[in-house]
Amino acid sequence: MRFDTLSDLKNYKNEILQKQDKRKEIWICGGPGCVANGSIILAEEFAKALDNKASSDVSTSFWHSIKVLIRPEENETEKLIRTGITGCMGPCENGPIVHVEPDGLYYQKVTVDDIEGILGSIKENIPYKAKAMSGHDGKPAEVPSAENIPFLAKQKKLVLGKMSTMSPLDLDDYIAHGGYSGLIKSLDSMTPEEVCNEIKASGLRGRGGGGFPTGVKWESCRNSASETRYVLVNGDEGDPGAFMDRALMEGDPYSVIEGLTIGAYAIGSSEGIIYVRHEYPLAVKRLANSIKNLEEAGLLGANILGTGFDFHVEICKGGGAFVCGESTALMTSIEGKPGVPRVKYIRSTEKGLWESPTVLNNVETWANVPHIITNGSEWFRSIGTENNSGTKVFALVGKVKNTGLVEVPMGTTLRQIIYDIGGGVAQNRPFKAVQTGGPSGGCLPASMLDTPVDFDSLTEAGSMMGSGGMIVMDDRTCMVDIARYFIDFLVGESCGKCVPCREGLKKMQMILHDLTSGKGREGDTKALEDLAEGISDTSLCALGQSAANPVLSTIKYFKEEYIEHEKEHFCRSGVCPGMFRVTIDEEKCKSCGLCSKNCPADTIEKLDNGKYRIKQDGCIKCGACFEVCPFSSVEIVKEVSKDD
Amino acid sequence: MIDITINGIPIKVEKGATILHAAQESNIDIPTLCNHEGLVPDGNCRICSVEIDDRGSKKIVASCMFPITRSISVETETGRVQRARNTVLQLLVNRNPKSPIIQQLCDKYGVIREERFALEPDLCIRCGRCVRACEANGTKAIELVDRGFDRHVAPPYELETDACIGCISCATVCPTGKITYEESPGKRTIWHKEFNVLQCKRCGIYFATKEMLDWAGREENDRDYCDHCQKYIESVKFITESQKK
Repeated sequence: MRFDTLSDLKNYKNEILQKQDKRKEIWICGGPGCVANGSIILAEEFAKALDNKASSDVSTSFWHSIKVLIRPEENETEKLIRTGITGCMGPCENGPIVHVEPDGLYYQKVTVDDIEGILGSIKENIPYKAKAMSGHDGKPAEVPSAENIPFLAKQKKLVLGKMSTMSPLDLDDYIAHGGYSGLIKSLDSMTPEEVCNEIKASGLRGRGGGGFPTGVKWESCRNSASETRYVLVNGDEGDPGAFMDRALMEGDPYSVIEGLTIGAYAIGSSEGIIYVRHEYPLAVKRLANSIKNLEEAGLLGANILGTGFDFHVEICKGGGAFVCGESTALMTSIEGKPGVPRVKYIRSTEKGLWESPTVLNNVETWANVPHIITNGSEWFRSIGTENNSGTKVFALVGKVKNTGLVEVPMGTTLRQIIYDIGGGVAQNRPFKAVQTGGPSGGCLPASMLDTPVDFDSLTEAGSMMGSGGMIVMDDRTCMVDIARYFIDFLVGESCGKCVPCREGLKKMQMILHDLTSGKGREGDTKALEDLAEGISDTSLCALGQSAANPVLSTIKYFKEEYIEHEKEHFCRSGVCPGMFRVTIDEEKCKSCGLCSKNCPADTIEKLDNGKYRIKQDGCIKCGACFEVCPFSSVEIVKEVSKDD
Repeated sequence: MIDITINGIPIKVEKGATILHAAQESNIDIPTLCNHEGLVPDGNCRICSVEIDDRGSKKIVASCMFPITRSISVETETGRVQRARNTVLQLLVNRNPKSPIIQQLCDKYGVIREERFALEPDLCIRCGRCVRACEANGTKAIELVDRGFDRHVAPPYELETDACIGCISCATVCPTGKITYEESPGKRTIWHKEFNVLQCKRCGIYFATKEMLDWAGREENDRDYCDHCQKYIESVKFITESQKK
């Protein structure tokens, strides 16, 4: 299908929408977590079960007919049914997830053995109870639809909205789910300036972490005196534990490209580049597939929909250096040079890629654009808070019961995300901290759990929004060790161009390694703080300027742990090797013996009085006893000093 | 022209000039390492950091690259600037203690090497002046390779390369004395590569490698004299010929 005019596309859209009735769809989650749990095989088996002649190639889906009971009359009706793979649906912890549309039912931990049951339940038009998705209590929901599952019910899915109900490969699916309404509206009834103003009015801020107003950026690029302008997608997501942009590029690539196309129209650009790291091969493949389909459909290329607007998109694969997510390094990398940042006293909107005015936005920012144009800036502003409109996608990971991809309105508190959506800390352990913003962000303690999640509040609290990684930590996490982890990461990812980042992070790493290995010296915490200030002030790019945040935020909220590491060489969390001892409090011990059974070093002995004791010589300090003891009788205490 | 102040002194500056340039014109001292007047600035050493007040927002910037586009006030000796400068210098002396330029700056600003963080001494501060000089020549024989702490200057694959013409521009602009070469009559070795150096038939100095003259496009039959003598011979020829006329 090729659309030569705006009305071609509008008519086709109406045609597709009319076909929507009388359909059943079985969607299998194709997010990385579910794929690892066997969702591809599951999808192949579903396809075979519907039609044994079906190709096992699940990249395309086929319509089959199925007889479905329409209760309560118990009449049979012929329905079309198909099965296919979607992008990430979000509840990664309980994958593989199967989603039945239009009933909106979710099933978890589905195996090949459940196929018959699920197909049967569709025919019977009732939920399949055995694998119905469960609530935080672990009990399966009676009717496992989104509103009955807390993990899904408390979310506001805007950019992730289509992802569990369509094939990321199918342009028809995207159009049927409202896709390309934004571009039609822009080209049909809005001038480029109006599009720019609409985005400005929406208050959309850059979702990559900086939070710069997107409309202002567009406007300044639009007003620059140059013939050539570029629009770029920053798909170089590299924060440990973050997978929001990956999910979007894999699960809804058309929305990113539609947003980019609208942006190009608004700022007067005819060339767009999507920069994706090569470690995201599926994202690259899906984006390439989308670009090909869109070119064939006439939605990319010369004279789009007969409006005279030309726009071409290319993919540029990055080598996977973390620093290439920094805007100037990304552009240097696209130019074919080593991905190293350059001094940015002149904005990219004036002098960016190949010295031409450039708008660079994050994947999620672009994916928001079609929604804003379709529904208007006022609607967008009604979501979220005053200065932080819209939603934000987070990768909720770490020691939380329900890990996964979540999208919430800005201003939702950390507590709501971690407890109401995530179900709280895994194994009901005490909450210690949540890390947001990746290596440039920081760790916030329990006292900050009611902080609303928006750009300004998180920065004020000493962390940052970042691109949306959210790592939950329990009491078995040493905060000094966490700072060490992030600084290790950054030492490995620093490009080495400027002195403070290259040498300063190395020095910081040496202090942190001393602190976490029992060699801390008096004054180390203060030295870290001073160094952090120096590095932040003098580093060339945002990586170095924010690199000290993990250290500064942990010192701010967990100073006592630093002091213990520094002065007493004690790690209260039982993480840093050689800096603690594990003992059993005989008063609290109820002689259950679980610790002894679970001790991999076989070093817990039973005393004559029935209580247990850890033989210190053999203890490898793995913490297994600590975790299994139901009575909290296992304690982490200071190592006896050799002088004593 | 734009009116700015540096340390309170009013100065008129051409639009687009850097803070460093403006300061140097007014004899205000700002230390530099990676900056070189003949090369494009790179802003990587951060030693030239100064504090600016730009419409009420105060920040540290690299003076060698910050273009003056509106009226700002610049301070080169505030506590924050001193801390920034000392942080950089401290980090440099921990790794580059033997470089004379670093020693001089440390003496000037009172920075001492920290034994605890003393790294294996290296002369190179990764300022990339050599790389920029080579690039300016168009030869591009060396590049900063590896990243982070391991970043260093090298020819491709650390091997001798055809791209190197033995011009020693890199060694000439190196501020720390890291880049060295061996020179004996008629021979020069740099970046693992040995060059023959041609001798001037008039004054006898060894003036250029064959590769340099190739790169400059000098004819094979026109390689007998050094630049100085060549000029002398040309001018004698010119005078004799005009007298004849």
